[in-house]
Amino acid sequence: MNHLQPSGTPAGSPTKRSFKPRIVLFQCRFNHYSTADLQQIENLTTAHVKCIQVPCAGRISPLFILNAVQGGADGIAVSGCRPGVCHFKQGNLGSRRQLAAFRDLLIHVGMAPERLRFVWMDPADRGRLVAEIDALRAAVQNLGPARHLVTRATLPFAMEFN
Amino acid sequence: MNETVIALQKEAARLLREKIVDVVIGFAEGSVPLRARPVAIRRPEDANELVLNSLCGNNLATYLAHRPAKERIGIVCRGCESRAVRALVIEKQRVRDQLYVIGVPCRGVFDPEKILSEAGEDLLWIREADQRVIAGTPAGDIPIERRKLLHDACRRCRFPNPVGADRVIGEPLAPCDPNEAQDPVDAFAAQDAETRHAFFKAESARCIRCYACREACPMCYCSQCFVDHTTPRWTETAISAAGTQAWHLIRAFHQTGRCVSCGACERACPMHIRMTYLTDQLNRHVANTYGFVVGEDEQQPPPFATFSLDDANRFEG
Repeated sequence: MNHLQPSGTPAGSPTKRSFKPRIVLFQCRFNHYSTADLQQIENLTTAHVKCIQVPCAGRISPLFILNAVQGGADGIAVSGCRPGVCHFKQGNLGSRRQLAAFRDLLIHVGMAPERLRFVWMDPADRGRLVAEIDALRAAVQNLGPARHLVTRATLPFAMEFN
Repeated sequence: MNETVIALQKEAARLLREKIVDVVIGFAEGSVPLRARPVAIRRPEDANELVLNSLCGNNLATYLAHRPAKERIGIVCRGCESRAVRALVIEKQRVRDQLYVIGVPCRGVFDPEKILSEAGEDLLWIREADQRVIAGTPAGDIPIERRKLLHDACRRCRFPNPVGADRVIGEPLAPCDPNEAQDPVDAFAAQDAETRHAFFKAESARCIRCYACREACPMCYCSQCFVDHTTPRWTETAISAAGTQAWHLIRAFHQTGRCVSCGACERACPMHIRMTYLTDQLNRHVANTYGFVVGEDEQQPPPFATFSLDDANRFEG
């Protein structure tokens, strides 16, 4: 498709102004339990955030994150429970060790550190997730679209069909 | 034949004769020059097949995890192999009581590619002297400095001496300076993200997905590897950028805090792909964060097999 693009704007790299970061959020479902919280996540997903709920942060395999990175996510947030308040007692502890090491590996092979953010929060923290996503979006907006490690054709988020 | 090899053969013959072990895993002469082949010796009279030199590039601990559970095994172990044996015992792949570790301090193994580039393609044989190696070619003998031929992983080896051996043959050697050992991965990490990514991309792009690195690795013993799963299919299995990059990243990630830095994966690779810059980084991460070094302790579980509330403040934000 490259040769069909007007010169100066290569395919897949929109200009900074038109760039809307695509954010993938891996979300422990015990982190947001009430209807009000779910509503908050609903609101997030309208803003180019793809929310993937998992039963526990311990369920998040590094392969999920790699899949998002390779599929063209500009920013990735992992939200799990603060140590000590995990619904399954220890799920977050094990996954924290693994995901921190995996983040280190991705940075080692060229990913910008700002693109992967962990939010270990108390389920009672109202509004923290939205603030963290906003911070992530601002950081990613600054960096521009992800290029390194993006190896697959990026799929549009559901929102972009509207 | 040097004293170490003679002592090794005697020890192997004794173990088999006295029925202390059922089998001794070691190296024999290869059928082609520059290669030695792993061998399982079952009869005392075959023990004189054993050799040990700088062409023994495999990691013998690779063969432990899939041997029958009841078998008593004698294994020739250099520094990295003995640490892999420890790690396998901690991960319950082997019972330590049924192993007999014959430790041999190791001066490093050669990279066959380096020998060929130093001595030329029509090499006939090589002979090791103390600090030099004599390469025989049709044009005459070529002396080469030993250090020049060492595989990169051996050049920065921190653990040349076997740990937890039942019997050690030969004198212990001085380990390399830990700072010097860290040099290559420090130098890589110091480059900017563009350069690091370009290197990673170019290396993984050569991969032909033969999985020789996995087969050569003592710690890759899973009966089904994540790339062989079909339900769900975790990664692309074709030779595509997505597939090969995922393979290199996740293979390295699964070695976090388990890789013994023997370099067997790189020596096994037919495409000469570098891999230790990934595993070394992960090992450095767990050493800095949790103070864990593979094979240092006989009981300490690998960092991902355990966790602690004390990890708390390390991951805020």
